[in-house]
Parts: sequence; C-alpha cells; structure tokens
Amino acid sequence: MTNDQPAGEALLEAARRLLLDELLALLPAERRYDGLMIANAMAIAGRELRDAGAASAAAARRLSAFYDDATAMPEALARRLVVDIRAGRFDDGPARERLVQLLRAELRDRLAISNPKALR
Amino acid sequence: MADDLAGAEARGRLAAFVRDQLAASSVEVTTLAPLRGGAIQENWAADLAIEGGQRPGRHALVLRRDAATRVGESLGRAEEFALLRVAAAAGVTVPEPWLLCTDRAVLGRDFYLMRRLHGTAAGHRLVREATLGGPRDALAERLGVELARLHRVTPTTLGRFLAPGAPGLDFLPLPRQGPALDQVARYRDALDRLGPPRPVLEWGLRWLERHAPPPGELVLVHQDFRTGNYLVDEAGLVAILDWEFGAWGEPMADLGWFCAKCWRFGAVDKEAGGIADRAPFYRGYEAESGRRVDHQAIYYWEVMAHLRWAVVALQQGDRFIAQRDPSLELALTARIAAELEGEVLSLTEAQP
Repeated sequence: MTNDQPAGEALLEAARRLLLDELLALLPAERRYDGLMIANAMAIAGRELRDAGAASAAAARRLSAFYDDATAMPEALARRLVVDIRAGRFDDGPARERLVQLLRAELRDRLAISNPKALR
Repeated sequence: MADDLAGAEARGRLAAFVRDQLAASSVEVTTLAPLRGGAIQENWAADLAIEGGQRPGRHALVLRRDAATRVGESLGRAEEFALLRVAAAAGVTVPEPWLLCTDRAVLGRDFYLMRRLHGTAAGHRLVREATLGGPRDALAERLGVELARLHRVTPTTLGRFLAPGAPGLDFLPLPRQGPALDQVARYRDALDRLGPPRPVLEWGLRWLERHAPPPGELVLVHQDFRTGNYLVDEAGLVAILDWEFGAWGEPMADLGWFCAKCWRFGAVDKEAGGIADRAPFYRGYEAESGRRVDHQAIYYWEVMAHLRWAVVALQQGDRFIAQRDPSLELALTARIAAELEGEVLSLTEAQP
C-alpha cells in the first residue's frame, strides 16, 4: 500500500511550524516551556520518520562488517558486542581503535535523530 | 502531577496531621498548590495558619511527596527527610525540615514538610542572568564550602549530627567494592534491565571499571549537587535542595558531578556548574574541608557523571515507556542519553 500524501514527516513539520510561529506567543508564560517541549518532540519524531530506517540498516551493516559475520541477526551481534566490551576484548590497541570507530558511527546516527545540535 | 490533593478533604487531613504533630489547637491549610520542577518528586506549596502548640503563626512550606512512579536510585521521602536533618545539623544551608508523614491514610503516599524559601533554582536562568546568585566567584566558593560541610559527615562521625531520638542513616548501604565499582555494577545491571544494548555506555562502564580509584575515605555525598539543585536570590545562595540521591561515597564524586559538562546548562566554558571557573569552587572546598582536591579523581567522576546521568535519563524514559507515566518531560529526557554518550566517548578518548 502507498501511504496517502503529504507524508507524516511533512505533516509534523507543518504542525510544528504553526506551533512555534503562531501558537507559542499566545501561551501564558508558564506554559511556554511545555510548548517548546512539544515542538522538540515533534522535531525528533519527524527526523525519526525520515531517517530511522536508513540508520538501522547502516547499524546492521556496520555490526556485520565489524564481526565479519553476514548471517547473524543484528540484535544478536549487538548483544555479543556488549558481552565482548564487558569482557575487555577491546581494552587497548587496534581492537580499541576499531571499536571506538564503530561507536562514533553509531553515535553520529543516533544524534542526527535525537539531537543534531550536539553533532560537531 | 496527581490532583488528588486539590480537594478540601486532603487539606482537612493534612491540617489534622499537623495539628496532632505540633499539639496545636487549630491548623488551617490556606493554600495547597502544585509547584513546578522536580521530574521525580511532587512538590506543593503549602501555607498553614497555626494556633497554639509548638509553632503558632502563619507558615509558608513546601510539601514534598513521593511520586507515583520512581527511578531506581532515588530514596523515599522518609529517607530524604532523615538526610535533610543530618545536612542541616552539619551546617549545610538547607530549607528547615518540618515534619515527616509516613501514614498513607493522610495523603496517599509518604510526604514531608519543609520551609518554603524565595529564589530560583532554574539552571538555564542562572547561567544567563548575571544578576541572579550574586557575584559568581563568591557563589562558587560558597558552594564549595557547603559541600565540604556535608562531607564532614562520615559513618564514624554521623552520631554527632543526629538529633536525640532521630533515626540514623541505616538505609544507606556501605559500598561493597568501593563506591566506583559498586556504581559500575549497578549501572550494568540497570542497562540489562532496560533492554536495548547501549554499546557506548558499555564502553564507558568498562573504562570506569579499569580506571576506578582505590576506595578511599567514605563520606556522606549528595550525589545530585549541581546547578539546578540549589536555590539562589539576587544576593547569593539560599539553600541546597534535592537530597533524594544521598549516599556514602567518595568526596571527589560530588565535585566531579558539579563540574561535569552536562550540568553547565550550555555555559560550557564556566567549568564549575556553568557559573564560574573551577578555582573558586575548589578554593571554598579546600579551605572548609582541609582536604586537597584530587584533579585526576575529579576527571574520573566527571566520566561517571555523564554515564550515570545517561542511565538515569534512560530510566526516566522507561517510566514513560513501561510504567505508563504520561509525562512528555520524562519521554524527552530519555533522548538526552545520546548526547551524554558523546561526552562519555570524548572524555574516555581524551584520557586513555
């Protein structure tokens, strides 16, 4: 099935603009923070609608390359990563560098959705 | 915020409780209204008019009540009240503790009353409005002094700070492998319970495990001593708030928490809580405590601070997800975790 248009992401963005540009000024001062929280939640949800599919596919590809394992499920590899980190398998040297690279990539995708301002 | 305290019945039960506790001839609750702030606890403004007994007169108080859902590490009201009394006895500037009620028939959950003070605690205002909190170096120095006073309380000296007949702090466990490694174990456990893997936090925890300072002196730590949790007015400090995370711990842990980047409210170049340089804060602490600050230990505890706040943020989100607390603020708090993970990674990479 094809979704009806405009897409959810576009609806969220239009609703958010209306809230920020016109409604926020009408809110009593003590509810302004609530208005900003709502706008923030809508922005996160919009970015997630747009990017989450690609981000989770990229995360799966990275994990399977990291472990050179094309058959295991991404969830299983993520759990294996936790076990290995706790066991100290990436404490030093090249193993550590590879891990930190993987973590940076994951973090970049997570921040791009949850808080792009923190990307630098 | 629950509205079960809004009616006349709740006021009547509260008035009767205070009347009995203070041997008053009459008590009227003239105001009982929700206060903003406190994602974990409920705070209400309570105005009382009391005749006779131990505290006659009109009193502006805060009623602090257990929330309907709670976060793993936070203490209940009875424990927090006991800590507040110990802190007051140790000379820490806190709102005067009044009464504790553990009879759930009164207001449904445990609560206590303390004096309501004027001022603001809002961190984002404090870092932007130069007139708040008085001269900033003096404020930072004073906060160092306050922390040093709290750290006078140890498992050995505790007796000196307990009022006759007051309960001790037996509810605070003594660390098993030391405060640092105990926290590492606790946060791993918390992540396991939350579910989805967080490899960056796992990496941070491994770093914290490998770099843990050997257990040292044990003192009473606040564990949430930061900008946002103290009240100021135009002149300076009014009171240290939010005692629900108190524990036996390492003194440097509180200094690290205060200075951690995540508690500077965007004023990242002012490394002492977004309000000043570290120097005056450390100066106040050293002068009052007679202890030297340990920069390496503070760095360690700053890594721990971001890690801990990330775990708490995820737990806050879990109250929304699993415990069905509908607060949007809780939901959004979980989304802060990624930013904190970024800090964990930067700090652990900057000092391998």
